[in-house]
Amino acid sequence: MTTAADGEDMGMQPAMTDTDIRKSFHQQLDDIKHDIVRMAAIVTEAVPQGTAVLLDGDLHGAQELIEADDLLDTLALDTEERCYQLLALQQPMASDLRSIVTALRMVSEIERSGDLVVNIAKGARRIYGTTFPPRMRGLITQMGEESAKLFRIAIDAYVEHDDGKAAALPDLDDRLDALHKDYIQEIFETHGREELEIRAGVQLALIGRYYERIGDHAVNIGERVRYMVTGWLPEHTGAAREAARRQTDPPHIEPAD
Amino acid sequence: MAVAIVAVGVVLLVAVVGLLVLDRRRRAATDQCADLETELERMRARAVASATHATALREALDAIPLGVIIGDRTGTVIYRNPAAALFLDARHGEALVEVAIRELIGDAIQGERTSRSLELFGPPRRVLEVQAVPLGDAGTGAGTGGLIVVEDVSDRRRLEAIRRDFVANISHELKTPVGALGLLAETLLGEDDPEVTHPLAERMVAEAFRVNRTIDDLLELSRIEAGEAPVRQPVLVQQVLDGAADRIRPAATLRSIEVVVEPGPLGLTVMGDRRQLVSAMFNLLDNAVKYSEPDHVVTLRSSAVCAEDGSAWAELAVVDQGMGIPARDLERVFERFYRVDRARSRGTGGTGLGLAIVRHVAGNHHGDVSVESQEGSGSTFRLRLPAALANEEAQAG
Ligand SMILES: Nc1ncnc2c1ncn2[C@@H]1O[C@H](COP(=O)(O)OP(=O)(O)OP(=O)(O)O)[C@@H](O)[C@H]1O
Ligand SMILES: [Mg+2]
Repeated sequence: MTTAADGEDMGMQPAMTDTDIRKSFHQQLDDIKHDIVRMAAIVTEAVPQGTAVLLDGDLHGAQELIEADDLLDTLALDTEERCYQLLALQQPMASDLRSIVTALRMVSEIERSGDLVVNIAKGARRIYGTTFPPRMRGLITQMGEESAKLFRIAIDAYVEHDDGKAAALPDLDDRLDALHKDYIQEIFETHGREELEIRAGVQLALIGRYYERIGDHAVNIGERVRYMVTGWLPEHTGAAREAARRQTDPPHIEPAD
Repeated sequence: MAVAIVAVGVVLLVAVVGLLVLDRRRRAATDQCADLETELERMRARAVASATHATALREALDAIPLGVIIGDRTGTVIYRNPAAALFLDARHGEALVEVAIRELIGDAIQGERTSRSLELFGPPRRVLEVQAVPLGDAGTGAGTGGLIVVEDVSDRRRLEAIRRDFVANISHELKTPVGALGLLAETLLGEDDPEVTHPLAERMVAEAFRVNRTIDDLLELSRIEAGEAPVRQPVLVQQVLDGAADRIRPAATLRSIEVVVEPGPLGLTVMGDRRQLVSAMFNLLDNAVKYSEPDHVVTLRSSAVCAEDGSAWAELAVVDQGMGIPARDLERVFERFYRVDRARSRGTGGTGLGLAIVRHVAGNHHGDVSVESQEGSGSTFRLRLPAALANEEAQAG
């Protein structure tokens, strides 16, 4: 998405005012949710744009993407700030608390995904002028599509409070991982056929990794959504086991942080 | 109503006091009541009429194929038509349109008439134009809000690009060989040695043929475009496939590419011009072979498809395992002279008219052609034509 939007307006209050405090807690929570959806939209649009920049060798588009990230950073900082304000001033409980904690975690996942798209754009700039064979272009297209799709599903799960959708994300992410493997293989083979310089090969491998990590962030968002909806703890293998262990341990009071 | 009651009350009081003029007064009161009632009736009718009017306006707005949103003086959205629903409370790319809409409502309230173009990468990729129009007289502080119109201008932009590129392409396509002819002829003038002149003359012949081929293709295209009603006779789909495959085989064998015709539904028939249909399939096959690597397989497949509305279609598909087509070019390959990679296409001697011809043959037969492709894995082109009815089929040979 290419548009110059200024950070003002759109429910972005720079600081809490009296009216904000009088605004109902849920109204504020809703505003935060809106901003998260908006931030995620910037990322889901930036991913295909990044792919186009890479495949078309579009230097202008690359610059645009890199600059657009500043808006995402501003929004992230502001949303985060408002989450902390809500936590501090309202001391929410149970599911409200989970919503805010989820929002905080999502903001950072989304912001980091945005950084990864910037990395893709920068990588595209570095290998400007390289032509890569069709199969490799196809794999890049597919990785771009899959990672954006994962991100969209994660946000759908968030908006719809659908933990089932969120729980499906790791399986979908396997597809992206498989594509990524094929892609790395293809880089080696293309290089072997002397159709790709080693320097470009390395950049392309890094770019593939960025797509894969965008997918990982989407999976993380899914975990946060499950936590928000059901209280289910993320990192089901390690953390959940650890948590279960802690629950069966003799109770000890932990200081709240 | 209250006015009427009071009026009647006053009149009655006067009537009781003035017993002597009772009769005349009573008549006057009745008259006054009647007047009030007609007035009320008229007002009621006017209210009903204006309500009908509002409903009609709203229905009209609802039916407009543009997104229409109205914000009041405070920026709150007080109306949106169904086409705009997509952009409010939106997610993904549409959420960014929502941001723009809300910002533009702000502009409109300030009395500014602004517009913004948004390129969404989707999928689907599209260009939207959002326009803000102030309502009421904002300049004098009498503004009543803002109107936002959202329009999908992707098609318009695409047409502009087609027109722009077409002229550039056709000039280029004719200029290159003609320029070469000129240079070759010039060189030829200064040479008498047959060792030199002979190959020069040979290249001139080749270039001349190239111009000729381009012009032939253009003529064929314009003939088909002119909508010269194609001959309508029953044509067996399998025969079209076999005919096209036989024509491509020599070129395919030369490139070690196997062409396979899969047996399709027995007796599947379409109405149309057999020569045109074979030529369309041949163009698809020509591409499939040209844009594949040695040892790849090109498959020809036919099937009968039933559309949602119950109509029956014959689908003729050409599947290859070749280089594929980048996503951004998919929509454009059917344009005249459009090529994904000019350098490579020129090497293979094409003129870039093949798919334009296919599309027009499809159109002439009330069908369509579509493509699906993944770069590096291959492409599938599908020609869909209305299947002939049973009685028409009976005439097919
Ligand atoms: N099967 C295919 N695989 C990959 N690319 C294709 C395929 N078919 C068409 N294309 C792309 O679409 C472009 C347009 O095709 P079209 O048949 O119109 O022109 P052409 O093949 O270049 O020339 P001509 O058909 O006039 O000889 C091609 O130049 C090519 O880039
Ligand atoms: Mg062709």
